[in-house]
Amino acid sequence: MIEINEQFEVPSAAPPFVWNLLSDPHAVVGCVPGAALGEEHEDGSFDGSLTVKFGPAKVTFRARIDLDLDQSAMTGRVTARGKDNQGGTRFKASMSFKVTDNAENAGTTVLIKGENEITGKLAGIVEAGAKIVIKRMAAEFSENLAARCAGANTA
Amino acid sequence: MKVYERLASAFAGEGVSHIFGMMGDGNMYWMDALDKLTDVKVLEVRHEGVGLGMADGWARQTHTPGVCTATCGPGVTQLATAFVTAARAESPLVAFVGEFPGTDQDYIQRFDQSRFAAACEAGFVRITSPDYADEAVRKAFYLAKLESRPIMLSAPMDVQQMKFEDEEPYKPSSTLLPARRIARADPDMLAKAAEIIANSKKPVIVVGRGAMWSGAGDAVVKLGKRIGALTATTLRAKNWLADNEYHAGISGLYATKTAIQLFEEADCVIAVGASMNRYTTEHGYLYPNARYIHLDAKAHVMMGSGRAADCYLQTDAKAGIEDLEALLAKRSFRSTGYRTGEVLERLSNQFEDRTQFEIEPGTIDPREVCRVIDETVPGSIGLLTGSGASAGFSTVTFQRPRPFLHAAQFFGCIGQMLPAAMGMCVATGNKPTLLVDGDASTMMHISDFDTAVRYKMPLLAVVLNDQALGSEYHKMRAHKMKAELSTIPTPNIGEIAKAMGGRGRLATTVEEVRAAAAEWVANPGPMIIDARISRNAITIAHRRVLYGKDE
Repeated sequence: MIEINEQFEVPSAAPPFVWNLLSDPHAVVGCVPGAALGEEHEDGSFDGSLTVKFGPAKVTFRARIDLDLDQSAMTGRVTARGKDNQGGTRFKASMSFKVTDNAENAGTTVLIKGENEITGKLAGIVEAGAKIVIKRMAAEFSENLAARCAGANTA
Repeated sequence: MKVYERLASAFAGEGVSHIFGMMGDGNMYWMDALDKLTDVKVLEVRHEGVGLGMADGWARQTHTPGVCTATCGPGVTQLATAFVTAARAESPLVAFVGEFPGTDQDYIQRFDQSRFAAACEAGFVRITSPDYADEAVRKAFYLAKLESRPIMLSAPMDVQQMKFEDEEPYKPSSTLLPARRIARADPDMLAKAAEIIANSKKPVIVVGRGAMWSGAGDAVVKLGKRIGALTATTLRAKNWLADNEYHAGISGLYATKTAIQLFEEADCVIAVGASMNRYTTEHGYLYPNARYIHLDAKAHVMMGSGRAADCYLQTDAKAGIEDLEALLAKRSFRSTGYRTGEVLERLSNQFEDRTQFEIEPGTIDPREVCRVIDETVPGSIGLLTGSGASAGFSTVTFQRPRPFLHAAQFFGCIGQMLPAAMGMCVATGNKPTLLVDGDASTMMHISDFDTAVRYKMPLLAVVLNDQALGSEYHKMRAHKMKAELSTIPTPNIGEIAKAMGGRGRLATTVEEVRAAAAEWVANPGPMIIDARISRNAITIAHRRVLYGKDE
């Protein structure tokens, strides 16, 4: 199990503004490095794909993504499960985010918590490296999201 | 004549010239009888497992059965790690061992050797009676050759002392085996393979030991030219065909970044005498978009990804590649494939590893040690790489084509390459031989460096000495554990070599490594260079799997 804890600030933007951005699955997935969102299903879930670079090798996962939003609490939960193109590796990931008020900078704080699990053939290859790769991706995701929020705010 | 005498002459009858092992009362009568046969030489070792490891080295080098011996019970249990290693290496080998007398079930050295052999993945033949003596020896050699695996030939001490009354000459196992026939692939499957190749734009040919053994080199080069293929090797065939253009090096975690990027583009992989195990294909992830054509002598091979090739050809490697080439020539098929100036340019610098590490005072960058040894030891001298973290440096850094290059890693154990190197040295008629291994691995069987000295083997053992169990050290560091637990100070291993009557040098600078290697090249004999290497240098493989580095 690889845990993620990230947090970023969007100064001078009210929480509802940031929430509106984050509750759009296309915007969120667009910030995940290597991720692409596919078709939406009737139950509200999506197909997606994620290409991860483990060392110089690239692995593409196909996933089913669910987005669960609580408008009033301004919290959301994204869950994804899938396997790689060859079927040798499976992953489960869940990520919850919470949009809160930040009085200090008259802006918004976004808290991200995630749990990732990789099982199967790749898990044996990547050892400690998987943790580093996923943490690196989480940090990049958080940066992208912060940049998107900030960009939308100034626009 | 006693049974043990007949058994000795049966081994001579099999054409055995060298036997490696240790004496005990379970095999001493047989060894005494062998001594009377002038054409069989017995080399005494200090540990039974080393004797088996030498026989394994002999087998890997010559592809003929290596022969070793141990006494019953405790002599046999010492063989465990070497047996499993030989089994995984698919080495034909016969281990003649004593066995406690069946008439004394409370004998102190009693041991269930058949179950032990099974657990060690070795075949088992017991000499149950004098009448069965000839057939047992013949069967042991027959199975070793036919199945290409180690066989334990177990000779109960009481049976060995019985009378053997047959006057007929011994018939060797060669009388059982049919004349070698070149197996050719099914024509329909060949046509299918040619079709896949003709429809591909980026083919990679991966060659393994099977391709080397069948002498498929020229055929692979010719096919590669026709179809515009990149060639790559398994770890076992490292540096084979490396003189040719568009050679990408090893396929697997030891591949260069350039090679991995090129492999990713492959739409067709032609595996030749290579099992395509998980290491060669990185569980299949190395070639995400490729269809596979697999040529091997076995009935079928499941690849390390858990999948089967799109087209499997049971064939002799050389014959199969020649047949494929002929089919494609008939269709006038020719493709540029990977063979462009841009790819050539990318490949030309691919082995440079420029990552800098802070090297502690009094130590050397292990990559520097390997580079200097590769430069100083002539290309006419064969190389064995070791196990553990040290192999990560030697495997990537040694680039010079050599008459042979044997890698370890059949069982993931350490300590098995010094014995293998000694066996290969003997198998090549005492030609100078180079071994580059780690410190824990060398120390495990250092007592048998004495064997190299006693038999005057021109063997240079270069120890990449980080005074630690290197793999564990680097893993523990990455996992933020107490890495010091994996460190073990070593004595000056060069001095150990000297005390045993060989030559030895301690090297803490790259100049000292070069000078010591040059000294050995000028006058090859049993010698150890204890090269003190930095623990801060990390292998490319570890940088990738432990730190997710894109290098």
